[in-house]
Amino acid sequence: MQPVLRARDISKCFGAVHALDKARLTVEHGEIHALLGANGCGKSTLCKIIAGTVGLDTGEVLIDGKAAALGSPRLAEEQGVALFYQELSLVPQLSVGENVFLGREPRDRFGFTDRSAIQRETEALIARVAAVAGKGFTPDVRVSDLSPDQRQLAEILKVLARKPKVIIFDEATATLDRRQVEVFFEILRQLKAEGVSSIFISHRMDEVFAIADRITVMRNGQTVAEFAAAETDRYAVVYAMVGETGAIAASVRDHKPLEGDARLSVTDVRASRLGPVSFTARRGEILGLGGLQGQGQKALLAGLFGAAPFLSGSVSLDGVDVTVRRPADAMAHRIAYVSGDRGRDSALPGRSIFENTAIASLVRERRHVVPGAVFRERFAEVLAGLNTRYAGLDAPIGSLSGGNQQKVFISRWLSPAPGLLLLDDPTKGIDLGAKGDFYLLARKLADEGATVIIYSSEDSELLSLCDRVLVLNGGAITADLTGDRLTPFDLTRASYGDAA
Amino acid sequence: MIGLAKLGGRTWVVTAAALTVLLVVNALLQPNFLEPSVIQSNLTTFLPLVLVAIGQTYVILGGDIDLSVGAIVALVNVVTVSVIAALGGDGMAVVIGLAAGMGVGAGCGLVNGLIIAGLRFQPIVTTFATSIVFSGLALWVLPQAGLPVPEPYWRTYAGTIAGVPTVYAIYLLAFLIAAFLAARPFMTRLKAVGGLRAAAFQTGLDLGRLRVLAFMLSGLFGAFASLCLTGETASGDPLMGQTLAMSAISAVVLGGTALAGGVGGALGSVLGAWVIGMIGSVIFFAGLPFEYQTLVQGLIILAALAGGVLVTRR
Repeated sequence: MQPVLRARDISKCFGAVHALDKARLTVEHGEIHALLGANGCGKSTLCKIIAGTVGLDTGEVLIDGKAAALGSPRLAEEQGVALFYQELSLVPQLSVGENVFLGREPRDRFGFTDRSAIQRETEALIARVAAVAGKGFTPDVRVSDLSPDQRQLAEILKVLARKPKVIIFDEATATLDRRQVEVFFEILRQLKAEGVSSIFISHRMDEVFAIADRITVMRNGQTVAEFAAAETDRYAVVYAMVGETGAIAASVRDHKPLEGDARLSVTDVRASRLGPVSFTARRGEILGLGGLQGQGQKALLAGLFGAAPFLSGSVSLDGVDVTVRRPADAMAHRIAYVSGDRGRDSALPGRSIFENTAIASLVRERRHVVPGAVFRERFAEVLAGLNTRYAGLDAPIGSLSGGNQQKVFISRWLSPAPGLLLLDDPTKGIDLGAKGDFYLLARKLADEGATVIIYSSEDSELLSLCDRVLVLNGGAITADLTGDRLTPFDLTRASYGDAA
Repeated sequence: MIGLAKLGGRTWVVTAAALTVLLVVNALLQPNFLEPSVIQSNLTTFLPLVLVAIGQTYVILGGDIDLSVGAIVALVNVVTVSVIAALGGDGMAVVIGLAAGMGVGAGCGLVNGLIIAGLRFQPIVTTFATSIVFSGLALWVLPQAGLPVPEPYWRTYAGTIAGVPTVYAIYLLAFLIAAFLAARPFMTRLKAVGGLRAAAFQTGLDLGRLRVLAFMLSGLFGAFASLCLTGETASGDPLMGQTLAMSAISAVVLGGTALAGGVGGALGSVLGAWVIGMIGSVIFFAGLPFEYQTLVQGLIILAALAGGVLVTRR
């Protein structure tokens, strides 16, 4: 029999970035297929192409041996491919039945919505998952009145109503607790028994081996290995994810062993989908936060800066309590934050370089009037030190390249020098030269006594820059990697929740 | 509060209760209140607001708002009377005038919808701006109030069609349109658009088309209301209907449609419109000095809205 889905030689560029380079994926009928890889390996892009939400540059997708036209999610659905969305596709104000058939409502012969058909067919769908549906899960209950796992179930019903041959579950278990994951797996097994195939992107290795029949591993936009789950083990899978680059190891890093006591102490902090986590960091240390995207790293940084305060727990810096509730308090304690999302978190668009630099000092020093001459002198000096090219302090921020803008946003925090510098994927979308400058700057600030905490979606960045990396998975720290253990292999393995 | 919480999402029940209270009070204040002719006269007075509120419901359900509908009412009025006058005022002229009016209403809605859904402008600012444009156009078409409509027009409006008072026939027609729309998939999709736009998009709904349609419905019902007002005033007035947009939004919210979109329906808005109409009537018959009427009306609407909010917030 033909495989239900075969993607061949799929290539896709976003600008100059090769997201996929002749990637392939084969899924058999009634199979649970895990798709694995480090951040940026292209697994999500491949799934989006198969589900029709992203177009492909070259290559082809065959469904049941026939070339499929996947120009839109709707076309993909018609050909039997459905994408499971985390939560985004349910309208809370509508009932379960209305949601399940939204956009494809059964109609009677006058063109009116056939409510009894919706009721009937939704009931039939609920019957298929009756074992896990729980109380009060009926076609006419509003989605906003459902429990979180029932919502997840409603989302699955919505997918099932499209009678798909292949369902793509992208991080479907990311928000679920252990019991909910079991429920979810039960549904996957039932779908499998009904002959429906699943493509399953997970961030937990034990889940993969608990449920998957076969595993495809991707790296740098290419498919590098295919395994039968029963015939392999997690080491082989992690090696495939890391590849030969596993050898770069510590040679790039030239770090003195850290001395001194911890000066930052984070104790049992908790946020939505994070923690409780505890850790410490020293003066002069560059501490990385690693792991797959969305495992709580950003929440941790936002909490430390007070932008999204922790629900509980405490933070102290040099013996002073800095469990802050708002950024202004963090700034008063010389805590600085630079985001990779410059447009959203950093830039005052349309304002001058000077204004974009002065803003942090204004807040920190509680000034209401800008002391123009003093600030100009201060920032001209700081900016010159950053090796930033600019026409003048009054040029608009938008006239700078992304990399130079990022330098300006860092310069906000350099006078006086920060005690704790939080970097949230700071080099996203900036060019290589500027990245190099950025790393040097981070190292210099650390050498001058700052503690730097950096989250990066690029493992190579963490490996080359950090003295130590905490790996997060599902909001918990799964590994604390330093020295010889700070390798691509250990980082990837811990990213998938495998504690060493 | 437990009792209120059980009503969750059914603000229109509160509104229906308020309406009942107002009816009783009105019946006490105004002895002939329940006479058929008085009922008909009251319902005639409320009709334009009811129609505008029905149209506004669709826009609000879709998560938008239409502040321009009052100006649309004025523009439709002056276009209709001008067309009728220009064509000589016979029966054919009236029919063409009505059609032109409806066309102008739908066209104004289309413009609003295209700017907001197509160019992604803010609905509140956009419709405020287009309301000024539409008002300006109305003044350009007919700089001064006047230009009477032919007698058969207002006679028919005040009279009967096939034995049924015309006003009731219009109510019936409006209800039928609302019921028709409520039973179409369109309604669920529109609620999805207003409920959670990202989800509606993920589901593959054509958001732009649905939002444009909602604005066109608002424009059409605005035109409908304008033609009724014209039947009452029997002449053109470029300043007609100025307070209608805000009153209609109040009526929609009173009727249980969430201002954020996604929840509600046209029937509630009809009740809301009646409540607002009855408030005016009660104040008038209670013999309150004219100077206080607007103030008291505003306070009562505010109180009614607060009641609705208390029910919705759980």
